[in-house]
Amino acid sequence: MKIIIDAMGGDNAPGAMVEGAVIAAESLNANIVLVGKGEEILKSLRNLKIGDLPSGIEIADAPDVISMRDDPTAAIRSMKNSSMVVALNMLKDGGGDALLSAGSTGALLAGSTLILRRISGVRRAALAPIMPAAFSNAILIDCGANVDCSPEMLRQFAYMGGLYAKLVLGKSYPRIGLLNNGTEEGKGPELQRDTYRLLEEDDKNGKINFVGNIEARDIFDGAIDVIVSDGFSGNILLKTIEGMGMFTLKTLKSLLTGSKKVALAGLMLKDSFAEFKRDVDYTETGGAVLLGVTKPVIKAHGSSNGNAAFNAIRQAVTCARSGYVDAIAEMLRNRPNPDNFTNSESTTGD
Amino acid sequence: MLDRLTEQIKEIIAEQLNLDSADITLDTRFKEDLDADSIDLAELAMTIEDKFRISTPENGNLPELITVRDVINYVKDYSAD
Repeated sequence: MKIIIDAMGGDNAPGAMVEGAVIAAESLNANIVLVGKGEEILKSLRNLKIGDLPSGIEIADAPDVISMRDDPTAAIRSMKNSSMVVALNMLKDGGGDALLSAGSTGALLAGSTLILRRISGVRRAALAPIMPAAFSNAILIDCGANVDCSPEMLRQFAYMGGLYAKLVLGKSYPRIGLLNNGTEEGKGPELQRDTYRLLEEDDKNGKINFVGNIEARDIFDGAIDVIVSDGFSGNILLKTIEGMGMFTLKTLKSLLTGSKKVALAGLMLKDSFAEFKRDVDYTETGGAVLLGVTKPVIKAHGSSNGNAAFNAIRQAVTCARSGYVDAIAEMLRNRPNPDNFTNSESTTGD
Repeated sequence: MLDRLTEQIKEIIAEQLNLDSADITLDTRFKEDLDADSIDLAELAMTIEDKFRISTPENGNLPELITVRDVINYVKDYSAD
């Protein structure tokens, strides 16, 4: 098992990725290739008091870096020696089993689609983050890759997300919900109403386990495994959850340091609060998987630290081992028309 | 020769966009007639460049492909073959 890492992507590059790789090389049974500026990677290792390249880690030199300001498509096409393009080509050519990057989301989406290509029959690849553990490890699909969607695209997201939930998250019969502004049938704009009809029909035919519309507040009760959404609404949901988590932690910290008496109570609850922090902390949950391209690609948070990088590497290993890419390809091979799911066997509900 | 090129390109477009090549004419517009978006066009440009050995411009900008005829002209003008 070999994980390719775009070491130069993210706010804390390459230090965060190097730190995550070192922890992963020690604790996971995986080899890691750090792609990026060799000297900077070695410097980051020295900062961790590591003189020699640890066993299981190698460096592939790539002198250029795609920045957040670069036009994604033009950058992928022109910056052939950038860490992201070198890493994607390495994955494409079989030099690894999965790729992780905390770099520009737009460039990673464009690069994955243009270099790795979509699985045959996939209309659009979608970004699917795992919600924090407190929210029962549901996945959200899509969280921002596709702002404009059709009902057929959302239907594909439901199927791809269902397979991922089954194979990677271990949900035997994934419960699929459609993000909407009310639970009743007929709620929401045309896109959600039409998608509801498609998913309901598939549920009646036993192809998926569609449980209906779901409101944003209800995703926290653990009743859903796959939250289907257009990328625009999904992105707002994800950012709201992140912001709310940070706000809650900040408020709790402030409350518990207000007086000596309260601080003492806080000390007594230290372990419980640490557990709560782990449950809502995005650095514990890994990244967002790009579903629909021909290889496993994980987008880590742009501000990932070493712990977030490690958890995203762990997720990449799990993804690569799960065989979800082949499962999606197999599902679509049984459906000559990618937008027509009406003549096939169940893939998420068996 | 041009007819063969036209057929080749129509087949590439049909495969890329999940269409029947018989439905594609020289004047078919990607966005208006085939509902293609920017990602479709970027994928198409890169497939065409790979297939006909066209060098990617240094700035990485995509060619302006509005109709099927634009793709044929792009290949005729820039292909190394």
